[in-house]
Amino acid sequence: MPAPVRWLVGRLVGALVVLWAVATLIFFAIRLVPGDPAEAILGGPGSQASAEAIALVREQYGLDDPLLLQYLAQLGRLAVGDLGTSYSLRTDVAGLLLDQLPGTLLLAVLSLVVAWLLALGTAWWATLGGRVAGAVSSSLEIVASAVPHFWLAGVLVLVFSTQLGWLPPVSTGTPLGIVLPVVTLAIPVAGFLGQVTRDSLLDASTAPFALTARARGESRSGLFRRHLLRHAALPGLALSGWAFGSLLSGAVVVESIFARPGLGRTLLQAVTLRDIPLVTGVALASALAYVVVVALGDLAERAVDPRERAA
Amino acid sequence: MRTRLPALLALTTVGALLLAGCTTGGEATGSATPRSGGTLTYATGDAEPTCLDPHVGGNYPQALVSTQYLESLVSKNGSGEIVPWLATSWEESEDGLSWTFDLRDDVVFSDGTPFDAAAVAANVAHLQDPETLSSTGYLALGKVTGVEVVDAQTARFDLSAPDSALLESLTQPWVAMESPAALERSQEVNCESPVGTGPFVVESWTKQDRIVLTRNDDYSSPPADADHDGPAYLDEVVWRFIPDSAARYSALQAGQVDVIDNVQPDTLVAAEKDDALAEIDAPRPGAVNRIELNSGKAPFDDERVREAFVTGVDVTDGIDSLFFGTAERSYSPLSSVEPLAYSDPSLFEVDVDAAGALLDDAGWTERDSDGYRTKDGERLSLEFPVSTNQSIPAEQSLFEQVQAGARDLGFEVTLSPLDLSSWYGALAANDYDLVSAPYTKVGPDVLRILYDTDGITPAPSGYFANLAQLSDPALDDLLTRASETSDADERADLYEQAQKIVLESYTVLPLYDQQNHYLARSAVAGVRALPPVSAVTLYDAYTVG
Repeated sequence: MPAPVRWLVGRLVGALVVLWAVATLIFFAIRLVPGDPAEAILGGPGSQASAEAIALVREQYGLDDPLLLQYLAQLGRLAVGDLGTSYSLRTDVAGLLLDQLPGTLLLAVLSLVVAWLLALGTAWWATLGGRVAGAVSSSLEIVASAVPHFWLAGVLVLVFSTQLGWLPPVSTGTPLGIVLPVVTLAIPVAGFLGQVTRDSLLDASTAPFALTARARGESRSGLFRRHLLRHAALPGLALSGWAFGSLLSGAVVVESIFARPGLGRTLLQAVTLRDIPLVTGVALASALAYVVVVALGDLAERAVDPRERAA
Repeated sequence: MRTRLPALLALTTVGALLLAGCTTGGEATGSATPRSGGTLTYATGDAEPTCLDPHVGGNYPQALVSTQYLESLVSKNGSGEIVPWLATSWEESEDGLSWTFDLRDDVVFSDGTPFDAAAVAANVAHLQDPETLSSTGYLALGKVTGVEVVDAQTARFDLSAPDSALLESLTQPWVAMESPAALERSQEVNCESPVGTGPFVVESWTKQDRIVLTRNDDYSSPPADADHDGPAYLDEVVWRFIPDSAARYSALQAGQVDVIDNVQPDTLVAAEKDDALAEIDAPRPGAVNRIELNSGKAPFDDERVREAFVTGVDVTDGIDSLFFGTAERSYSPLSSVEPLAYSDPSLFEVDVDAAGALLDDAGWTERDSDGYRTKDGERLSLEFPVSTNQSIPAEQSLFEQVQAGARDLGFEVTLSPLDLSSWYGALAANDYDLVSAPYTKVGPDVLRILYDTDGITPAPSGYFANLAQLSDPALDDLLTRASETSDADERADLYEQAQKIVLESYTVLPLYDQQNHYLARSAVAGVRALPPVSAVTLYDAYTVG
């Protein structure tokens, strides 16, 4: 088998294993939460559903079947791409996901781009700007990677909406409305990416090839763009898959704070209402997006680093 | 009802005068009279409903939004009297086993279906159909066996037993009238676009984002206590879901939204300083927010231990400081908006020494190394599961103060913050000694749900409402008689006796009304809370300036 095909097959099998593991984990984990799924279908916890209604629902949804049978039936449905019907919204889960996925993907992708720009910007400054710049940027990165989303969101809203009045505090559907959510999500990720990028950038800048390039007459910024960046970006690219995952989980908080529709809010609502099909659907969609992004990161690494291609 | 409408009007006038000062013409002063047109954006902090038809399930978020497009047979005014709405008059039969309602003959659902007795019968049948999965509305009609169409504009409710709470039950948004033609559609479709007779019509629903409501131009059926007749002033209402409290307030300050609900105490204090904002304080009816003591098991099966807890732990100071004076201490099992609420502050005077003596008396005399009381080597421990969905942050802090106060007395209180499912799970498993559970219902009949012995038996879902596990035949008898009498004075007297028994059992520590605060920008006026369940109505609302 040629190397690229082997790579692709390996990725596909890996993706299927991840999806199966997620489906299994969610199926059993959600049943550890106390309460009755029939109740979730009948209007959520504390519903005062009548005995008839509960019996009806238990039969309709096969909730009286043994757990293993329910699990296998669930896997069977998922295998043919049937995500089922949401308990709480009573509509097709696949349709709900298709409605909400684009908004969250846009948010996550924009945040990742902004995070990379911020990380590279500070890393560049840290490398070229001398000792003070290095110290300042490394402190900034540590602070940025440590701040929680809800705090950051609050501060940004206070400054840019309440005080300055530049940006809307909650999402509006206009491009302006996505700015604060993106910045909120991007800053902590930029902190992490900046740290690893700066370290490898500094290593690369003291490597013999950098000196050689300078000796050949390469300018400082040319050195950065043409030689150092390739080296420095590698660990960051490898981390991008992880970063994307953390952006998806961050979306749960950020979408709620900025009242933005998306998968994160869907998940929060689904968990609260114990909407098993919807929770499973969101988890699978996120896992799939994660697998795809990790594969893309892998491809990007190969493009940047010729050594990877030879392997 | 403590609606601060005068304040709202005053602010509006001030705003109009200021505007008049700024502009050269005198046009702005004209805004003091309602004018048609414009869009109002409402931001709710309640959960997004999963179905816009409040017959299905039946919770407060549904009641809030459906108040804009659905109407009930009767309503309640600010003094607690039942007033006509879709029904013009009503009469109870001699034996109390049937009620006859005369209906308006000029009302049409927004899909063109006429509102008549057949429509009322179809709605009751829909609520009682197990496939509708109704819980709140289903319970409200518990004694109704069916609706007889006497003639086109006369509907007769037949009952299995007299029900003095029937009219109050019928004021609730969960039993509102929907177009029978619309109810014929699948539940999925009806959940997306229920059809009523209300001042607005559901135009679209973008999940997790907004519901757009447009004016019903043929509207003709406001409740008897509304401020005007005919269609609503607003062209459109945008109903947004903004779960984060701080974000809601920021959006209000930025003018992105005009009205917000679920306003937290700290925000209320901040808003008081802002002249551009007006508050509407509309406590919910039914039960007061309270801590209940589980008398069904040790240690609270001993009345002395209950009395020691209730009179040994001070909550008043905590309420004042944590709610910044926005919530008033209650001494009644019922909300202050209930005309029949009975208060007795004397039962709740704090006396730590007397409480300690009661505990000594009950045998909890020893103290262990941590300072907690013990009896036969057993520590005086209490489980307090807290629903983080239902208890706002200020309330959760109050419970921490209760924990500290109880510690001084020798109680070990374990607070467990839980999500809704886990919290109901803990209650169903009887794993609680203390609990705070809100209950919204119109009228004192809520006492029967919360304190009748029958309420200890769990429903098939594991849910039970009598969390105090109070079982007193004398109380059951009073509550049954009160729910069946058609004599208003006798009813008031029976409910007073019942509330005395509840309070004197020391199974209930009343805190404050179920808080329900709205904030409105002065750019809008005429926003008010509709008395039955204090849900906001935008029928009389208009834009200013």
